[in-house]
Amino acid sequence: MAGLELKSLRKSYGEVEVIKGVDLSVEHGEFVVFVGPSGCGKSTLLRMIAGLEDISGGELFIGDKLCNAVEPRDRGIAMVFQSYALYPHMTVYDNVGFGLKLAKTPKDERDRKIREAARILQMEHLLDRKPGQLSGGQRQRVAIGRAIVRKPEVFLFDEPLSNLDAALRVDMRMELSKLHHNLGATMVYVTHDQVEAMTLADKIVVLNAGVVQQVGSPIELYQCPANLFVAGFIGSPKMNFVPVTIESVGAGTVTIVGKDMSPITVPAQTSGLQPGDEVTLGIRPHALDASQSGAIVGRVQLVERLGNETIVSLQLPSKADWLVVLDGDRQLRIGNSLALDFAPASAIIFDSSGLARHPAPQALGE
Amino acid sequence: MTAIMQTGAPTAAKAVPVLKRRSPYPAWFFLPAAIIYGLLFLLPTLASLYFSLTRWTLFNSTFIGLDNFAQFMREPFLVKGLINTVIYAVITSGLKVVLGLALAVLLTSQIAARGYLRSVVFFPVLVSTVGVGITFTVLMHPTQGMINEGLALLGIDGPGWLVDPNLALFSVALVDVWKGVGLATVIYIAGIVAIPQDYYEAARIDGSTIWQSFLYVTLPLCRPATVTVIILSFIGGLRTFDLIWAMTRGGPGFASDTIASVIYKQYQAGFYGLSTAGNVVLFVLIAVLVIPLTMWLNRREGHE
Repeated sequence: MAGLELKSLRKSYGEVEVIKGVDLSVEHGEFVVFVGPSGCGKSTLLRMIAGLEDISGGELFIGDKLCNAVEPRDRGIAMVFQSYALYPHMTVYDNVGFGLKLAKTPKDERDRKIREAARILQMEHLLDRKPGQLSGGQRQRVAIGRAIVRKPEVFLFDEPLSNLDAALRVDMRMELSKLHHNLGATMVYVTHDQVEAMTLADKIVVLNAGVVQQVGSPIELYQCPANLFVAGFIGSPKMNFVPVTIESVGAGTVTIVGKDMSPITVPAQTSGLQPGDEVTLGIRPHALDASQSGAIVGRVQLVERLGNETIVSLQLPSKADWLVVLDGDRQLRIGNSLALDFAPASAIIFDSSGLARHPAPQALGE
Repeated sequence: MTAIMQTGAPTAAKAVPVLKRRSPYPAWFFLPAAIIYGLLFLLPTLASLYFSLTRWTLFNSTFIGLDNFAQFMREPFLVKGLINTVIYAVITSGLKVVLGLALAVLLTSQIAARGYLRSVVFFPVLVSTVGVGITFTVLMHPTQGMINEGLALLGIDGPGWLVDPNLALFSVALVDVWKGVGLATVIYIAGIVAIPQDYYEAARIDGSTIWQSFLYVTLPLCRPATVTVIILSFIGGLRTFDLIWAMTRGGPGFASDTIASVIYKQYQAGFYGLSTAGNVVLFVLIAVLVIPLTMWLNRREGHE
């Protein structure tokens, strides 16, 4: 039974600070996903938890134990690597049992545990093979088997699905989700794929440049991103942004106007906002709908018809490129103009420092 | 659909012979190397096979069948030479594997002055063998050599490195290892550096100690380097000549004679046909020992 507690955790390589004070607490049994662009420090953070990177500052607790200086093997963790790191000269059986062998687990107990792990992962028929004889998905399974056989308190996954093809990735994602459900262990998972993050996580930690941008459930992050970065990172296709100017400030609303649109009143948290302020309007592609009387008009650049929905790439008069996802199959001509409308409540205003101005909860409910 | 298949089939049928017929074009690239190889390697090899069957005075040769071989085999010190050659090859290649691996592990770890130490270890490889031989002959002098003088300071009565018949061959082998271990180390360094760091990290998380990481990760995964070092140094050991000649000339007596030095002595004595026959014997000996060894090592490797 172990959660995690990170207290202003820092990591620097010489002068360069890559993790700039991360505070995070993970409950036992939670599935936490670190997500962010390449180089944001998510893997480094995971490796600090694993004990593969020294901690430059702050405290790391696994369960109740301060683990800053504890050897990886004594942290009660297991890790699945992006490359799987299966020893090519050992059979699957030996790979899975390697940790147990090092721990001098008696042979019959070891055998029982290896077969148990193989049964959970449905890979009993692979035990005698060497990693070189396995497909990517099978190797992935063995790597997970090597982790679960040790019954760790915390599982660490470093981009485990990134070497698999798209279809297999979806399958393995579901299997990981099931595995988490069955084992009930704490899992920390690193990915740059926000879809993986959305589908797997109980809690997502969005990182950028070594700083936590937001922590929350997937839906929280989708509906109420804290800032421009999270708004742009979570959600697929990406949120559309356009610079606008505040025309007037009302009670819990602002009226905005911009090159690309006629004045619209949207709910927002208004404190500190004044008419004339430059702000950013964010609208998700799914929140837009075609409408004759729409406030935003753009020129159709590209149409992707997926059958159940149609993804339209639009260019606004200000040359901003927007994506719109329309329900069902729409036949649109490239070059034609398309008028769009959206529910004011679905729009998010970001102030000049990039912070989201979500309206107070009652305004959201309206 | 059928139309596509019908049109597709004849093209496919045509394409196969085109693929199979070899164009002469690549041969032109092969030719220069083939000429050089033929002139400098194949021709002399075949010629030496012929001359080994003759009584040869460099200017004329008489065919005498297998007499040279028969005579070579009757040489009193030949058996001693054969045994010495194998002992020498086994000792030098064994030590080069062990020391080369140990040095490579040391020189790939986080130690100070790593680059400098790598050059130091490799440096003897670049020095002339004869120079090394002469230097060590001086150092190993039983009474005035620096080695024994150093040992005397510690109160140890140093042995007669090169003058004791029981020791001479081993002393030369040690010098050979000193000179050649740099190459083995470089091969091992390349092998160790190529092992992905993930394996060590996975082992560390699994609770492996440094020694266990070496045993279960480094050692098996640098196997290709081990095979290369064994084969190269074993062949090198079997055909060793220059160091032996520079240090002991096969002596004292025939105590450190190897096949190559036996052959050279025949050659010096003007028995060209005989010494050529000796070379053929050496060639066969190397082939007989090394081919099965290579097959065995590579089969184990392929098995993994």
